[in-house]
Amino acid sequence: MKINPATKIANLLKHDIRALDAIISISPRFEKLRNPLLRKLLAGRTTIAMASKIGGCTVDDFMEQLKPLGFETEERLQEEGHTHAVLPHWLLNKSKQEIEELDVRPVLDAGQDPLKQILNALNKLPQYHVLKVINTFEPTPLISMVEKKGFASYVEAEAEDLIATYFYKKSDIQEASSKNSHREGEDWEEILARYKDHLVQIDVRALPMPQPMMTILEALEHLAADEALFVEHKKTPVYLLPELRERGFDYRIKEIEDQHVQLLIFKWNESN
Amino acid sequence: MQDVPVDVVVPFYLYAALCYLISCVMLIFSTGSFQGHHFQPNLLAITHAMALGWGTMMILGASYQLIPVLVESQLQSPWLARVSFVLAALGIPFLVYGFYTFHLGWVSQAGAIAVNLAIIFYVINLAWSVAKSKTENIHAIFMLTASCWLLVTTLLGLILLLNFTIDLLPQDSLFYLSTHAHSGIVGWFLLLVLGVGSRLIPMFLISKYTNDRLLWLVYILVNLGLLLFMVTELNPRFPDLHIWAVILISGGIGLFFYFIVKAYQQRIRRKVDEQIKLSLASVGMFMIPLMVLLVLLSGAGTADRPEWVLAYGFCIFFGWLTAIILGMTFKTLPFIIWSKVYQHPSGRNRHPDPKDLFDHKIYQYSMWLYISGFFGFLLGVLLKVEFLLLPTAALLILSAVLYVWNVGKVLLHKAKKL
Repeated sequence: MKINPATKIANLLKHDIRALDAIISISPRFEKLRNPLLRKLLAGRTTIAMASKIGGCTVDDFMEQLKPLGFETEERLQEEGHTHAVLPHWLLNKSKQEIEELDVRPVLDAGQDPLKQILNALNKLPQYHVLKVINTFEPTPLISMVEKKGFASYVEAEAEDLIATYFYKKSDIQEASSKNSHREGEDWEEILARYKDHLVQIDVRALPMPQPMMTILEALEHLAADEALFVEHKKTPVYLLPELRERGFDYRIKEIEDQHVQLLIFKWNESN
Repeated sequence: MQDVPVDVVVPFYLYAALCYLISCVMLIFSTGSFQGHHFQPNLLAITHAMALGWGTMMILGASYQLIPVLVESQLQSPWLARVSFVLAALGIPFLVYGFYTFHLGWVSQAGAIAVNLAIIFYVINLAWSVAKSKTENIHAIFMLTASCWLLVTTLLGLILLLNFTIDLLPQDSLFYLSTHAHSGIVGWFLLLVLGVGSRLIPMFLISKYTNDRLLWLVYILVNLGLLLFMVTELNPRFPDLHIWAVILISGGIGLFFYFIVKAYQQRIRRKVDEQIKLSLASVGMFMIPLMVLLVLLSGAGTADRPEWVLAYGFCIFFGWLTAIILGMTFKTLPFIIWSKVYQHPSGRNRHPDPKDLFDHKIYQYSMWLYISGFFGFLLGVLLKVEFLLLPTAALLILSAVLYVWNVGKVLLHKAKKL
């Protein structure tokens, strides 16, 4: 039989049951495969590549052990692991309340499959929340299966046999990032919130022309970098606008009613 | 204060831009006429296409738009403003066509009557708006006086036209031509440019400088000079005071120049953009026709120097007036369109800047073509070098095409987010 990293463990065992002992000899972690129930549940979902992750060994270790049994190695397929070296952005800034924990070790110890429990937890996961699955090994089959359901994952080895796997809805990532890219066309409220304690307010509605423009430009001269100017105006001061961009300011205009607009003027920097 | 509806203003801009292009095209077909006397059908046609179709239409549109800024009151009747556009837009082609083909009968007469009605509606609308203004304002006085001179000009023009076919006046129409022309050039265009410029240029420079007394002096000098000029023109037995009229008007322009220099020195705006530069330069460009005029006045008479008379007219309409408008178009129109397109800001988005509604590169090309075309043609007229006229007129046409393209780009601007 020709095998490659994508070959399922179940297929190996079906082809030659001696492979079971060969695999277990690679890592004691595969002892679980002796349990017929777990073997039935896991082996069908697990490839050699995945199993090598779980067992903390390499694909080559597998190939070496299986070769004497008559398995032939096919050209290696590119199979990237699911482990992320860098903490993904969706996990950054997450508070404890936003992370739901699920320890499946007792279930596994009892010789049962925690899959149903995990899927259940994922289904009930509130928006922007993260599910943390605690396990003794990297649940590679679970990861690839759940990723197909639209989840992103991140695996972290907290200890030798304490592996935390984080799951996060991909749709939540998209929504959050579309909110982020909006920064360029950031909302009035967002900007207002950003400068909420650093707002300089002026009202130029009662001033005769061309004093509104002068007043605004003068106010901007004294504006600190972390401050924003909040202007009450009768109308959009179109001739002021090019001045603002020329001076390195960005602005938002909001119409309140006829004869009343508000302007929010703030330092423009490229990272915005 | 309500904004002036865009559909009141924009037709004037578009119409004027097209008239400028057509005038340049007529110019290239009339280069032969620049060898002789100024009173020729096609030159009359070009002059009126330029003075009415280009200069006046543009100023009417801009002044409807700027009434809230200049007069500090609302435009009283947008409806009357629309009527004035329709009348002028219909009248001008008739008048110009009548001159070009020298059919001074009903065709040009109908055109002249329509133009006069348009101007009457304009003056009424303006006077009404000024009357409603709560503050006394020197710029409004300039504008109102200028519009009255415009009406004097067009009424006199109508009478002169009728005088070709009916004996209305004691002298022939040619005798009154200079009065008609200068009432328009000095009374309408110059006075208006001084009045509006003294408001807008400091505004664009963001300068705090004001000096109403100086502006009143400018006002008195220019009006007095013009009246003196007309009295001298119309009374051959009167002592020749032309030179004094020119001195008074030049004095007024000189003081205005001083005003602008002061405003420039006290400006807040650091960078002066291309359009303002051109408008500042065009104030200086009025010195060219003035010098030509002095040459004329120092000589024996206009009959000996037809090329100087032609150069004088060319400098005023294709030089000074055109330079101002080419610059000011992109200082006003993009802002008008921007205000319309982005009229209900929600605070949500970044939008393009008003000044980026036109293509700055095309603008530059258009300017260089214009400047080389203008000076080349002027040289050709003064030196009587006919082969210079054709290519330089072509440069002016190219410049006008680019200008019209850019105006179109502004007018067709659709809302965009950055």
